[in-house]
Amino acid sequence: MIEIEALRKSYRKSRGLDGFSLRMESNELVGLVGPNGAGKTTLIKILATLLPADAGSVRVSGHDVSLDPACVRTTLGYLPDVAGIYQDMRIGEFLEFFADAFRLKKPKRTAAIERALERSGLADRREDFVEHLSLGWKQRLLLAKILLHEPKLLLLDEPATGLDPLARIHLREQLKRLHAEGVAILISSHILSDLEDICTRIVFIADGKNVEEAQTTPSAPKDHAPTIRCEVEFAGASETIDRVIAGQPGARVLEQKDGFLLLELPGSSKEASTFLQTLLTAGITILHFDARGPGLEERYRRAFGEQTR
Amino acid sequence: MKRYVTNPMIIKELRQRLRERRAWLLPTLYLFVLSGVVICAYYFTTDTGHRLHGAEVQGADIGQAIFLGVVFTQITVLLLMAPVFSSGAITLEREQRTLAGLLTSLLSAPQIWWGKFIAALLYLLLLVASALPLLALPFAFGGVEPLDMLKVLGSTILTLACICAIGLWCSAVFRRSVHATASCYAIVLVLTVVTAIAYGMLYSHWQQSHPGASGPPAHIQAPLFLNPYYPLLTFMEDNDFGMHAYPVSSWLLFGALGCLAAAFSMRSLQRSGEQL
Repeated sequence: MIEIEALRKSYRKSRGLDGFSLRMESNELVGLVGPNGAGKTTLIKILATLLPADAGSVRVSGHDVSLDPACVRTTLGYLPDVAGIYQDMRIGEFLEFFADAFRLKKPKRTAAIERALERSGLADRREDFVEHLSLGWKQRLLLAKILLHEPKLLLLDEPATGLDPLARIHLREQLKRLHAEGVAILISSHILSDLEDICTRIVFIADGKNVEEAQTTPSAPKDHAPTIRCEVEFAGASETIDRVIAGQPGARVLEQKDGFLLLELPGSSKEASTFLQTLLTAGITILHFDARGPGLEERYRRAFGEQTR
Repeated sequence: MKRYVTNPMIIKELRQRLRERRAWLLPTLYLFVLSGVVICAYYFTTDTGHRLHGAEVQGADIGQAIFLGVVFTQITVLLLMAPVFSSGAITLEREQRTLAGLLTSLLSAPQIWWGKFIAALLYLLLLVASALPLLALPFAFGGVEPLDMLKVLGSTILTLACICAIGLWCSAVFRRSVHATASCYAIVLVLTVVTAIAYGMLYSHWQQSHPGASGPPAHIQAPLFLNPYYPLLTFMEDNDFGMHAYPVSSWLLFGALGCLAAAFSMRSLQRSGEQL
């Protein structure tokens, strides 16, 4: 869906992108994460055909962004970080205008508008002026607008900024639904919990370059055998749990205190499930079990350290 | 070509424009001003105190006075209004952050420009059309022929189209509406006042070296070719320019200026991604 190779873009006083590369498949929902000024917006603008790149190659759905921008625009929907909206238009008129701007012809045009109204939950407010909508509803309308021409790829630059929790939840649900429908999504956001919830992959970017996650466990096995961290909250005597851990080959306790245990097991989620089963069989009451590995916040901290802008 | 005729930008722009309060306020004020000019021209011409050499007032005199009054007031008012309607067209999209949505749609930069241009021009044409009854009033008195009116209308529309194109160029180049509007007014000022001053200087110099000559040659009149009033002046029978009037040169220059402004506007619009 997206093929970016050694992309470079400079501004007068700064460098936007410095050799960034990315390959994204059509079934992915990729989160783009990085500090302010990392080049996320520049990257999305280049993909959206708004900015020309200085060097490197960018292809969207097989079309070169610089050579064939019109074809690229037919396949993507772009939502900028601060998206404007025509306040003095009615909701129906707003959608009709963009349906025409995407050259949709009847009856496809009518169907697309109805679908957009349905999707945004604004079907009964078609005659209302856009200015009367709250920020959350405006964001829904904007998302419905960029879906009018049924794009295969969505480029979302900080779509959740300024939204209240309910609107954010709705946005997340909608993105999950779209992803399930087969729309590839590249989303940039600073709200890591949202990205963690919806993304199939996270890409880190800083100073316009790809950033690899640093490994912070100094005692990690040298043969790079996969390990998984398990976080366990339990009730009952810790002697029992100690016995279970002792019976787990290769298990390494990272932290242990009253009713809490953090340990690393060789293997993956399958081994974590087996370990949980062993705990339950041993009669330990489990209050909380988390074996998802390091969270996105932890991964972000590893990737960028204390880097701030 | 069909895409330019059925351009969604035109419908959107006109819809938004006609929802503004000024959509009905401006034509009302405009017609009040022109009506005032008609009344003044009529009374000034028929007032005995102002008659030259005590001559009888002819119907044709009244007709010509009303016609010239309306024509020159109309172009002056429209020259003041044209930058308002054109120079904010693209900057406003930028300020409201809606330009990215347009540029990532299937509308090309020329289509966006064309939609904005036609919408601005159509509103000004609405004002011109609303003044047609006042412009046709002199026919009742005589002294003015329908061909004169057509010439004046053609010249006015061409001038307005050129100013709209310049306004859109300012709008495409500047980030803020206030800067674009100020720049467009500065250009209008150069076209109307600076060209007249330049002509005045050239003419006085030429007159000193050619005493008794009937009318200034083309190269002396050249600065005025870019003056929006010049083609209108050349239609007056007893003007200073006599047989040496060059309205076609003026029209060609305005056309060229408008085309240049359009080309540069589209180029700026295509490259405006960095400003978003």
